[in-house]
Amino acid sequence: MYQDYAYLIVGLPILAFVLTIFLGWHLPKGGGFFTVLATFAGFILSFGIFREIYPNNEIVHQSMHWFASFNAGILIDPLAIVMLLMVTFVCTLIHTYALGYMEGDPGMARYFAEAGLFTAAMLGLVFSDNLLQLFIFWELVGLCSYLLIGFWYRKPSAASAAKKAFLVTRVGDVMFLAGIILLYTNMMRLNLVLPEGAYLLQFQTIYDSLALIPPDQLTWIALLLFGGAVGKSGQFPLHVWLPDAMEGPTTVSAMIHAATMVTAGVYLVARMFPLFYAAPDALMVVAYIGAFTALFAATMGLVMFDIKRVLAYSTVSQLGYMMAALGFGAAVGATAVGVSMFHLIGHSFFKALLFLCADSVIHAVATNDMREMGGVLRSMKWTGLTMLAGSLTLAGFPLTTGFFSKDEIIILAFENGAFGLGWIPYVFVILAALLTAIYTFRLWFLTFDGEPRSDYHKHESPWIMLGPLVVLALFALFMGMPTQGQFYDYVGNNFDHFGVDFEELAHIGGHHVEHGHVHEPFIFKILPIIVGVGGIIIAALFYSRWKRFDPSMVTSERDPLRHILLKRYYQNEIYTLWFAEKVVYGIALVSNMIDLKIIDGAVNKISAVSVGFGGTLRKVQTGVIQNYITAIVLGVAALLILIQLATMGVAI
Amino acid sequence: MIDNAISLMIAIPLIAAIFAFMNGKFAKYAALIGSLIPLAISLQMFREFDRTTNVMQFVESYDWVPAIGVKYTVGVDGIGLPLILLSTIVTVLVVLYSWGEKKRPNQFFALLLLNEVGVLGVFAALDFFLFYIFWEVVLIPMFFLVGIWGGPRKDYAAIKFFIYTHVASLIMLLSIFALYFSYRTPEGLRTFDMLTLLAATGDSTIFSPMALNLIFFGLLFGFLVKMPAVPFHTWLPDAHVEAPTAGSVLLAALLLKMGGYGLFRIIMPMLPNVSPNYITLMAVVGVVSIVYGAFLALSQKDLKKMVAYSSVSHMGFVLLGAGALSVLSVQGAMFQQFSHGLITCVLFMSAGTIQHTAGTRIISELGGLADRMPQFAVLMMAGFMASLGLPGMSGFVAEVSVLAGSYENLPIYVLITVFGSIAVTAGYHLWAMQKVMFGPILKKYLDLKDPHSYEILSMSILVLLIIYFGVQPATITDIMGVAAEPLVKPFITLAQTGVI
Repeated sequence: MYQDYAYLIVGLPILAFVLTIFLGWHLPKGGGFFTVLATFAGFILSFGIFREIYPNNEIVHQSMHWFASFNAGILIDPLAIVMLLMVTFVCTLIHTYALGYMEGDPGMARYFAEAGLFTAAMLGLVFSDNLLQLFIFWELVGLCSYLLIGFWYRKPSAASAAKKAFLVTRVGDVMFLAGIILLYTNMMRLNLVLPEGAYLLQFQTIYDSLALIPPDQLTWIALLLFGGAVGKSGQFPLHVWLPDAMEGPTTVSAMIHAATMVTAGVYLVARMFPLFYAAPDALMVVAYIGAFTALFAATMGLVMFDIKRVLAYSTVSQLGYMMAALGFGAAVGATAVGVSMFHLIGHSFFKALLFLCADSVIHAVATNDMREMGGVLRSMKWTGLTMLAGSLTLAGFPLTTGFFSKDEIIILAFENGAFGLGWIPYVFVILAALLTAIYTFRLWFLTFDGEPRSDYHKHESPWIMLGPLVVLALFALFMGMPTQGQFYDYVGNNFDHFGVDFEELAHIGGHHVEHGHVHEPFIFKILPIIVGVGGIIIAALFYSRWKRFDPSMVTSERDPLRHILLKRYYQNEIYTLWFAEKVVYGIALVSNMIDLKIIDGAVNKISAVSVGFGGTLRKVQTGVIQNYITAIVLGVAALLILIQLATMGVAI
Repeated sequence: MIDNAISLMIAIPLIAAIFAFMNGKFAKYAALIGSLIPLAISLQMFREFDRTTNVMQFVESYDWVPAIGVKYTVGVDGIGLPLILLSTIVTVLVVLYSWGEKKRPNQFFALLLLNEVGVLGVFAALDFFLFYIFWEVVLIPMFFLVGIWGGPRKDYAAIKFFIYTHVASLIMLLSIFALYFSYRTPEGLRTFDMLTLLAATGDSTIFSPMALNLIFFGLLFGFLVKMPAVPFHTWLPDAHVEAPTAGSVLLAALLLKMGGYGLFRIIMPMLPNVSPNYITLMAVVGVVSIVYGAFLALSQKDLKKMVAYSSVSHMGFVLLGAGALSVLSVQGAMFQQFSHGLITCVLFMSAGTIQHTAGTRIISELGGLADRMPQFAVLMMAGFMASLGLPGMSGFVAEVSVLAGSYENLPIYVLITVFGSIAVTAGYHLWAMQKVMFGPILKKYLDLKDPHSYEILSMSILVLLIIYFGVQPATITDIMGVAAEPLVKPFITLAQTGVI
């Protein structure tokens, strides 16, 4: 019953967007309740659909013709439904929080309109049944992030961060688009006879034809699609936009970092997993880039003092984990999809929580700088404790959601190494786990523990903001344990619905599916716990009230490593100042020179030589109308003469 | 449906132009009525159009100068009808946008209508002689629009526009005559009938390969200049910079489309009979226009000039799609014409509105306008997003069709286009948007406010149309697909027999 209304999951937020844009100005709270209600209705619908399809392990598929050989359609399978549930649930909470957070902003209606569209775009991306439609919503997500990051457009830094986010992800999108084109062409070449209602770029059709596409083409397609995911999901080297993306309202950061946008890239790779599986070289790249990103971003999270920036780098790092988990699928098959998605879902709860908590603090303390905080717990019990819950699970403290999901990824990394696919990713992810615990609790201790380091205003946030925090905290702590096993089963077997034969795909890719787990020595089993708890202890020794060491003992202002980290590996310098402003703009200037001097110069020369008009062209500024008339008359005369010749039968 | 729909559609703006010319006070009303009626006719034609066939519909044919085989023949198929629809829509909106024109309103609105007469004639004419006459008629209103209502260097720009395109037309005319004098009907008569002559080019007993290649070159040259394609594009930025807003909109939205129309109507039917090198030429010129045009746009300091170069870049997709010779790519190229016609209107209207509210179009001198012009900012943003190829808007559908359809035959060209232009295109749009609209508002612009309601209205209608055709492209791409099929059919057989 619910599934007949699946389109409303996207339709209602779009309706909310339209309503808020036109009526929001006249309504209390900018008409924000439209967006909240629409998103919540989306959650109810998704939950209803979940209840319908889960017992018998079914999927929902609806499709109609769009134009040419493309279609528009809805596909709700296990992979999609868990995303739909997460996005609608987390977004409902974030929008509710925003009702309090955006209070008093003159652009409130615009905020809720754009937030509604953002949610709609993300949901549309998730339930697309074909790659082109997924790309369309993917781009709309990019548009909305551009609008929302630049929400306070009068602030130059916000306008510039918005542009950066759009352009950097656009670089990824270009690759994504190229991948789609390459895939489309390859599938055209197969001359498939499609059954009634099937279209070329539908996922079902793609999965079915993987075995027929040449393997080298598959590798290229997979790499290009992954390029899109790298841009959207903030993987190295295209992660640079994500830390800047917090120029927008914090609720936007929460949406971007947790529920929407950045998860899209991981979702894309998960959705196309059979294709990646048939192209093991590409999957290897995914594993290495993901694992490297996890570590790389964590190093920068260690030194930042802006509370939101630390969280931003932690998002990049955690996305690296999700991506790496998919990459490890080369060793373990589709199980990897379940593991990756589980971390994604868990992460979206605790990262939304952390951002909203951070915002609650910033709201009260009126600064982003952790050096000016300290001791906030005393005045903000609820915020502090919910943030502690989020930090514990992010650090991978035993029995929290984050512990289960991250532990599983580390196990996959181990198996990946044991199956001879390289130990480097394992080293990366285990080191990253240690750093994660350290920077997370550095953040928590600096903010909530110790003595106040500045004279800030002490008050707790209102309950419309705290309520969502508590709900998210409960999920962040306790969602993992009871659902883990079922989740892996349910999402890990997603591709059975499409009849994907992983044995066959492995054969194309030239590798073997490994059955059963490798024996993991005891020390490796407890290593994640050791690094998680150890990291918390290290942070406590440096930053808490039980302080034993001072950070200056390991690093100083002149430490070059610290400098590099603070400068974020000079990526801004390389990308923006050198590549964009020097190389690209330089080419543009040279083109302009060529155009003015050579091409247009030649045109003027030719006219000067042949008609003697060159001089006239420059001199005739007086506008002698007769000249123009003469030109027209000459033309018409030429025409008449030719006709005359024709009638006289003279052949040219 | 009334008989003689096309003739009526062409005649009404002509009559209205005379009325408008006679009385400055009522000129704009005459223009509005005189452009609304053709719009109604074209919509009705669009509804009644048989979407399953590619034969000419609404055909009218009368003898005109029988002695030399000139006929008045008009008709439309899936190539012409979308552009006729575009022309009637755009003309109404341009009249609306110019509602406040104070300088010589009688001549101004008469010229807008005269322009419509010309372009409708070009898109409907099925007789080469008639086609050429309309082709030249279009030059006149544009020449005067630039020359009278233009900016400081209007004379240079007007003459350059006129001579450049006129020279191209004359070369095209030579080719038309060469076709005319080479062929006799079975009754031994000369004819200017377009379809007959084009069909005859397939007969190698009539046309030697050498002669045909030369004829073809003349025609292609005429269309490339009009589109315009690199390296024949330099008249365009000059004309745009000096032209009044209405002139720029008509120039970019309709006049450039005449070049693209020529590709589909005349060039592509001849393509199987001429040297295959021409296909490469079209693809190369297309890709160079796209990429080089995008970089040129990036380097501009004048907002309007940037938009002008973006037209060069976007029109390159038409060439690329035509040269790729697949149904999807050709259909995409046709849709790009239609889509760019709508999008570029919004861009030039934006540039024009900024010019006459803020007093300058130099990007670096502007800043923070969104603060005072929120409605306008939304519309301009929508136009810019459409222009950079945002999905959900028509430009995306067109460009993705061209790219996806072209990869099979022209893989390298597609990759160069994708990697060389898409990010840069997004770059210059966003950069301009940020400089002009965002950031703190500059002191000198504190008094600005949203422009007149008629400007907002015409831009809003365009944006809605862009979104409509981005979501429901099949409304119009279906008939384009039907028209594209016979154009690429000869090449599919050639490819299968291994000739290409």
